[in-house]
Amino acid sequence: MLMDRGFARVRPLQGGLDAWSDAGYDIEGIEKTG
Amino acid sequence: MMQQLTALLVQYGLVFVFANVFLEQAGAPVPAVPTLMVAGALAVGGGPSLAAIIGVAVLGSLLGDVIWYAAGRIYGMRVLQLLCRISISPDSCVRQTETRFVRWGPVSLVIAKFVPGFSTVAPPLAGALRIKCGRFLFYSALGAALWAGLAAVAGTLFYRQIDWLLGELGQMGVYALIVVGVALALFVAVKWYERRRFFKALRMARISVDDLYRLMQDGAAPVVVDVRSDSAREIDPRRVPGAIAVDLRNLDTALAQVPPDRDIIVYCT
Repeated sequence: MLMDRGFARVRPLQGGLDAWSDAGYDIEGIEKTG
Repeated sequence: MMQQLTALLVQYGLVFVFANVFLEQAGAPVPAVPTLMVAGALAVGGGPSLAAIIGVAVLGSLLGDVIWYAAGRIYGMRVLQLLCRISISPDSCVRQTETRFVRWGPVSLVIAKFVPGFSTVAPPLAGALRIKCGRFLFYSALGAALWAGLAAVAGTLFYRQIDWLLGELGQMGVYALIVVGVALALFVAVKWYERRRFFKALRMARISVDDLYRLMQDGAAPVVVDVRSDSAREIDPRRVPGAIAVDLRNLDTALAQVPPDRDIIVYCT
């Protein structure tokens, strides 16, 4: 979908958010709205 | 041999229906609709009644659904990710499942029975989203009854044709089993090949967390996009620093300010 909109360099993050967290990198909390 | 086969089906048909429906709901690639149709056809000839067939089908379906519902309740979205990893359907199923659930709510449990693949992932999603157990059981049972009922009734309507087919298969003997086995194996093989091809393309494109971290440290400033659904973000309210939460239905609006030549890193789990 992103590539259809002209974004040429779209890359999925291997392992997603869990992999990022497991690697020990900083994680932010999502602020609740409404 | 045909008479022996029919006698077996009449004697153990309800057990077979229960087992087949349960295994299919549990995620095994063993379609239950043909079994339900044959059982319906046999009901015309003096086999188990339609009510009994639908009853055991609902029980088998609910048993499979409850197991996955409980898994979703206990382990949350990780169960969905596991299901989609082992599923032989092409991926993005977590995303599609969530979208359907958000759109239709618990009624999607009724619709799920009629959508291949969705029927297995809908119950754990219901558990992960904390749908009340009573509502879950009600809609799951309703969906199972409608789905099994339609298949069984179709069997009663087409009992002559099914009778003929069983007769032909009976004459083929062991070759019938081979034909069915080969057809099933081909189906699984095609789905597996599609899945491998999809993941091969994904592997070539993806970026590791370490490489992303290095890009960020080097000042390359890629645009990180969180494409999880609202419900997934509610269940897991974390994000990669600086990630933009995007609703795929409003992509144009969400990324309007992003130049198309920027690196876009996406995550959906």
